[in-house]
Amino acid sequence: MGSISGNAYALTALCPIRKGIVVGEEIAYSDKVRDNLQNWNILPNSPMAQVPQTYLCRYFVLDDVYTESLSGGSAPDTLNDWLPVVPDSIRRSAMPAHDRLQSSYLVFSCNLHGGPKGDVDSYLRGMWNAISGPIREAWGYCYGFDQVTDAASFVTYMHKCMLPATLFFVGSNDDPLPEQLKALYLKQEFSRFAVANQGLDAATLRANYKSFIQRVAPNALSFPTWEPGKYQP
Amino acid sequence: MFNIAGKSYAMNVITPVRWYLTWLNKLIFWVALKMPSTLKGLITLSLIHYARWVIIGKNQFPHVSPDQPREKLKYSYMLFFSNFNGSWDQYVDSFTFAIPGGLDMFWKWNVRYSKSVALTPFHRYIQYNQIETQHYYNAYPLAASNDVKSAKTVKAALIAFDQTADLGTDAEFMQRYNTLLRGLQHDLGDMYPTPIVSMSAYQVERRHRRAERALQTSRAQHAPIKQGSQ
Repeated sequence: MGSISGNAYALTALCPIRKGIVVGEEIAYSDKVRDNLQNWNILPNSPMAQVPQTYLCRYFVLDDVYTESLSGGSAPDTLNDWLPVVPDSIRRSAMPAHDRLQSSYLVFSCNLHGGPKGDVDSYLRGMWNAISGPIREAWGYCYGFDQVTDAASFVTYMHKCMLPATLFFVGSNDDPLPEQLKALYLKQEFSRFAVANQGLDAATLRANYKSFIQRVAPNALSFPTWEPGKYQP
Repeated sequence: MFNIAGKSYAMNVITPVRWYLTWLNKLIFWVALKMPSTLKGLITLSLIHYARWVIIGKNQFPHVSPDQPREKLKYSYMLFFSNFNGSWDQYVDSFTFAIPGGLDMFWKWNVRYSKSVALTPFHRYIQYNQIETQHYYNAYPLAASNDVKSAKTVKAALIAFDQTADLGTDAEFMQRYNTLLRGLQHDLGDMYPTPIVSMSAYQVERRHRRAERALQTSRAQHAPIKQGSQ
């Protein structure tokens, strides 16, 4: 399956947003969703920082699809453009069609640690348990979301909206997030240790190293480590 | 514009594909999946965290409720999502220079695809079809993709080194320690935030600065007036 690469999983969901206007605010539901998502940007950190095993994720509202109408390089177009004997009606029909979406879509694209079998259900249950409030803010205006009342129904709903990746490329690593965060913490701390302990005699270096290793505890994943979403060194 | 979270940039591109050629596009991706050597060019672009392509058939947009209108599309669509380090231009240009053939192969059957060379029409194509992100989250905003990979190496090396930390004399310890540093010289390095870590971090810092300024102003206004020493 294209959505799994090693232990990483590519979750892609397109969730149709209802048509209508928010009473009292006079804005479309799709704009309200956009507004709610943008409000997350002024919080101290993203609600997604609380969702276990999230590497990177994004949300956006897809209002419509795009078709560039300028001349391009694909073979049938070029052929039609170059043949003056082709009647105008046929040449015009070779121009790109204009598609319009019937609904706006909330797009959720997430890179997560799902294990070798891509256990996305556990991830979604963890997501609901951690941030059911923000989930309601993002998905509350979507078709079918009124059926969602708990983690299980959220998983069922998301499966209706999920699309398989055709190709998923992992350029980073696919370890569990706590492993990655601990490794980053160790890299930061050990780099600083190496700089601060240059030119010492062997006995002092060894003593300093021992207290360093006791402080950073390389095998303890939970503490000390980087918090998910940490943006200050 | 919320396409940035720390050192990562979120790119979303949606492009139409003629529905009767979708199978060809899928076949190309399938071959790439089955023969990872075809992705060698992508691997050289070490600035990428994760990237994916999703092809949606013209009748495959999710329909989750009877009251949702059905889509009536003439094209299938290809979605491309990427998480990369650096600027938009650096990324798009590095694709063009590193894997122009691979890029053209993946997008070949997309309507009005300009080809990856020359640069200007390709930039215009991506800009036209790119969608802005409303909210972007990164679990490690301070780290580039190379930091995540090198951190794994540092952790493994440090744990292995620590097994031997109590063996031998201090001088032997120092020799092993220097060997460790030499082995990790390409992996070590302090990580600092970019000028704007993310829009949310920027907003938080802006509010802190505003609150501090207000506090200082208030203190100045309410400070007791010092008596002269006469």
